[in-house]
Amino acid sequence: MSISQTSELPALRRRSLPQRVAAALWYFARRSPMSAFWGVVALTIVIVAIAAPWIAPFEPLRSDFRHMTKAPDALHIFGTDQIGRDTLTRVIYGSRASLLVAFGAVLLGTTTGALWGLASGFFGGRFDLISQRVIEFLQAFPDLILAMAIAMALGAGTGTVIVAIAITRIPFGGRIIRAVVLSLKELAYVEAARGLGASNLRLMARHILPQCIAPYLILATTHLGVAIIIEASLGFLGVGIPPPMPTWGNMLADALNSGLVPPWWLVLFPGAAITLTVLAFNLLGDGIRDVLDPRLRGAL
Amino acid sequence: MLAYIVRRLVFGALTIVGVSIVVFVVMRVLPGDPLVAIFGSEGFTKLTPEQRENYMTALGLSDPLWLQYWHWVVDIARGQFGHSFFRSESVADTILRRGPITAEIALLSVALSWVVGVPVAVLSALRPNSAVDNIARFFSILFLAIPGFWFGMLIVLASLFWFGYKSPMAGVSLFTDPWGNFQIIIGPAVVLGLGQAAYITRMARSSLLEVIREDFVRTARAKGLTGRLVITLHALPNALLPVITLSGILLGFVLAGSIPVERAFGTPGLGSSMFSAVSERDIFVMQNLVFLYAVVFVMLNIIVDVIIAWLDPRIHYQ
Repeated sequence: MSISQTSELPALRRRSLPQRVAAALWYFARRSPMSAFWGVVALTIVIVAIAAPWIAPFEPLRSDFRHMTKAPDALHIFGTDQIGRDTLTRVIYGSRASLLVAFGAVLLGTTTGALWGLASGFFGGRFDLISQRVIEFLQAFPDLILAMAIAMALGAGTGTVIVAIAITRIPFGGRIIRAVVLSLKELAYVEAARGLGASNLRLMARHILPQCIAPYLILATTHLGVAIIIEASLGFLGVGIPPPMPTWGNMLADALNSGLVPPWWLVLFPGAAITLTVLAFNLLGDGIRDVLDPRLRGAL
Repeated sequence: MLAYIVRRLVFGALTIVGVSIVVFVVMRVLPGDPLVAIFGSEGFTKLTPEQRENYMTALGLSDPLWLQYWHWVVDIARGQFGHSFFRSESVADTILRRGPITAEIALLSVALSWVVGVPVAVLSALRPNSAVDNIARFFSILFLAIPGFWFGMLIVLASLFWFGYKSPMAGVSLFTDPWGNFQIIIGPAVVLGLGQAAYITRMARSSLLEVIREDFVRTARAKGLTGRLVITLHALPNALLPVITLSGILLGFVLAGSIPVERAFGTPGLGSSMFSAVSERDIFVMQNLVFLYAVVFVMLNIIVDVIIAWLDPRIHYQ
């Protein structure tokens, strides 16, 4: 829906909302067919995550003690783990954790950062100065290390992991949206609105915020892939969503802890799921960036 | 130039103070009882209120926060990084023993990323949209999506399966046993190096494509230089400046990435210590290691900034 707002086709305005969305999507698919393909892959992964209970062949937590550490066969096509849980089922359920955390963290972190950047760019002065320093301090940490420390301090849990990753996303939103706002607020139409007596809040909400939607969308989509990898790394290091809930990171950690030589199917499939998901969201993000704002190619 | 360096150092010192506050807030002030972290929630419920009180006092956690912060800063200034709850070795000794391995991994991986990334980017940029370019872009996109620790696990598995090879587990110094040391660091360095190479290739390619269109490159061509000389003498040095900056930013990627990657390879480096601290919920060790990583990252970035300023006369030292 936001895509149609920012697309350059004014003719779309007169049609109904579903038509406009469909037209915008068609426009996107024609502009960048490759990204549209990966968009479909990403959408499929989202659907698999939502429909996990109906798609998965087994229960994610049910152990089958007759089939423990079994290589892939006709019954368990991705094999089973040390206590006989079906790997395919757990990979499917793992997508839920991964996507929930990635979307939650990016939404929370990028939105917080963007609003902060909006306020700090708009008001300037001492508030801006302090905000910039705080953002610099946050950026002095490598992402994963900050996320690890926060996740560990807050204690294990889904919400914790989302907050931990969200905090590492704040500086990006803050910086980029602030830069956009700084260039916008000097423009004549903002001056005109101010001259007409618009309040600060109205200026920000009605005149500046809409211009920030495209960079915001680009930021959010390009950070989904990073968030998925951080989530998996946290799970792998044991500070992610705690077991028994299957996540791809947890599954890889379990495989590594299972002995000196982990069974190959327990390593291959969860990691391949991470790679495919990140690949899909990265390429979709590249496409959205190119279509929404070709000038930003390579900048984000 | 000297003034610029001093300025950067002063700002760096300020950043480090800020970083120490962030670390302190995250590890000590955020909700979450440190005793729960240490004993686990089950162990915590078994403690009587007096025991909890005693532990808190013994650990210095009953003091006011500003005093705790002050004690911590003083300890660090004295080089006392404290002890783990679970190991006899002091944190300072752990850092001295394991730090070099992680530093070697980081250095080797940066070198690898340049050795792989820059030539590929040149080939890519000289013939945009050719087969070589498309293959190079495919691999750089792929390596942006592959989690390093998974790639590491696959390498360990594959070398076991096909060659029956496992890298040594014990840490050995570069000076006493160079070959053993090399076997330990090569795996993580390759994984992290290829991960960075993906970013480097992307950046170097687009930067080179931009520079090739500039006037001075046309001048160089017009005066009759061969294509190879134009690229190596004129285009490449200019195109690589943003790549150096990126390489500095990517050092954060290496420092953080080495934690799960060292875990995947079983490498006895500082990343593995970080992993132990996390899995043992050892908050004091964690606090000091996180601070150390951030300080190293800040200092490396200052060094990169100074190198860029030295290489690029267009930058004004303000």
